[in-house]
Amino acid sequence: MLLLLATAFTFSAGGSAHAAQPDAQIRQAELSTIVFFVVFAVLTLLISFWASRRATSSSEYLTAGSSISAGQNGLAIAGDYMSAGAFLGLSGAIYASGLDGMFLAATYLASWPIVLFLVAEPLRRLGKYSFADVLTHKLRERPVRILAGASTVVIVSFYLVAQMVGAGELISLLFGIGYGPAVIMVGLLMIVFSTLGGMRAATWVQIIKAILMIGGSAMIATLVLAKFGFSVSDLFKMATGNHPNGNKIMDIRGFSQDAIATLSLGVGILFGTAGLPHILMRFFTVSDERAARISVFYATCLIGLFFAMLFFIGYGSIAVLRGDATYANASGALFGGNNLAPIHLARAVGGSILAGFISAVAFATILAVVSGLLIAGASSAANDLVVGLSGRQLDERMRLRISRISASVLGVLGIVFGLACEGQNVAYLLALATAIAASANFPLLLLAIYWDGLTTRGAVVGGTLGLISSVVLTAMGPTIWSKVLGLGPAIFPYDSPALFTVPLTLFVCWIVSIAKAEPEGDWRLSQPAVAQYVE
Amino acid sequence: MLKATEVVPLRTTANKLGVFRFRLVLAMIASYLAMMSFLIYSARHTTQTADVAADFSPAMVALASCMAFSVILTGFFVFVRNRD
Repeated sequence: MLLLLATAFTFSAGGSAHAAQPDAQIRQAELSTIVFFVVFAVLTLLISFWASRRATSSSEYLTAGSSISAGQNGLAIAGDYMSAGAFLGLSGAIYASGLDGMFLAATYLASWPIVLFLVAEPLRRLGKYSFADVLTHKLRERPVRILAGASTVVIVSFYLVAQMVGAGELISLLFGIGYGPAVIMVGLLMIVFSTLGGMRAATWVQIIKAILMIGGSAMIATLVLAKFGFSVSDLFKMATGNHPNGNKIMDIRGFSQDAIATLSLGVGILFGTAGLPHILMRFFTVSDERAARISVFYATCLIGLFFAMLFFIGYGSIAVLRGDATYANASGALFGGNNLAPIHLARAVGGSILAGFISAVAFATILAVVSGLLIAGASSAANDLVVGLSGRQLDERMRLRISRISASVLGVLGIVFGLACEGQNVAYLLALATAIAASANFPLLLLAIYWDGLTTRGAVVGGTLGLISSVVLTAMGPTIWSKVLGLGPAIFPYDSPALFTVPLTLFVCWIVSIAKAEPEGDWRLSQPAVAQYVE
Repeated sequence: MLKATEVVPLRTTANKLGVFRFRLVLAMIASYLAMMSFLIYSARHTTQTADVAADFSPAMVALASCMAFSVILTGFFVFVRNRD
């Protein structure tokens, strides 16, 4: 997720390099890369066919029957965040400007205690398929489900399109195929994988991918340190000597220019994580609250370890790749873009086998993340939007059928919009998704869990305002207003509006709720889906 | 599909934000803000030197401390809750 900014940063930093790259060097996939890719593709398809035999009910399809263990879920959550954006984007951000990239990593890690303390346990206790289940335990079901479903589908769609565009560019670079075939290939695999295997298949692919990602990163980091005799001082000396910014790469620079902008970005990431649908879905896959909180602890440890290795990979790429004409041009920009820093570094320290392995892991990462997104979107479409709009609860068969259809439709839309957005910097879609998660989902979830006074009217008015304000203010910020749309100076001075929209949503929910009490005889739709989970 | 005819009064409190939880949330946010303040302050008051940096900078230590604190705090919470 976060890594939207890192990715945007490095994409923009590497844009000129991309244009100047020697195409032949980048667009010839090596045999090792293709072999690892085929192995991973076959493995993921086998897993989805295996899981499809068990996915005969909606709870099995959407939440793996809540039978995933704490350790497995911890690895899967960690896998969700060890995305291609994190691995390639953060390493590329460190390569481009030094410690700035690690600031996002620290912010991201700090969001996990917030998730654990505030939402993980109540979510597991009160929810079944989506976070709207938690809202409806005390609020009127139809309006709340429509609102939650709309925000979830919007977040998932934005995320999906951004991931597809990134996937198309990355796969075309790594495997030497065109952008269009790359998007269609990833999209079709994603649809087959998601509609057949469901959450169990997505979880197992995330687990395998997380292990491979941590193993691969550890291998690169160890080889980098070995190259410098396991002397961090020598590594830093070489890095600061190679980088045009010298010692400045040892400090935060970009994020120290505007304290309010940095604080707003921090608030967005801190609270946005607790509102992201595909992350919240993970808490429904374990059996109880104890497993939910242990899984968060495992995930936090693994993510921290991963980020520590990215630190050495980032500085290692500065020390090893900058100035080497095999990997970078005269200005220091890497061939293929700075996002390929870890793959170039893997080739430099471990040869083509390690580079092929890392490339294939990056592909598996993309596939796993987009599949998780599809399932989160499908779950919300079936359980929130359809139920909210129709005013009827779905029976088991219908819920499963609508979930699978929703996954397919979202997947096709992802392919179509992914193809339409070729060549565009769509990282702002991820910024929008995070802003909505922090400004609309998180405040509603927090108030629904911890405040008795929240009313349906307060939640709907506050949530709608949070959704609209976050979208509008992000659109009026410097990135979209000035850079993407080219409309001149930005109306709103910050890229992330969370510092303003999160308090605004909380305040509006509160003021509307205290203005008029919830009418007596509150009701829910027949066949309450979550009542049995209420204490 | 089933018709939505059944009306069930249901308005329950899910949980209370306990003192323990509240303090931990505050500790995490305070730690994060402290890290950010330090980073911004140190970046604006860096002394220029010609020497090549060869050790972990104060900013790196601040970032690592915040990350370690996040992990420690989650572990502490899980440890305490699992003993209940």
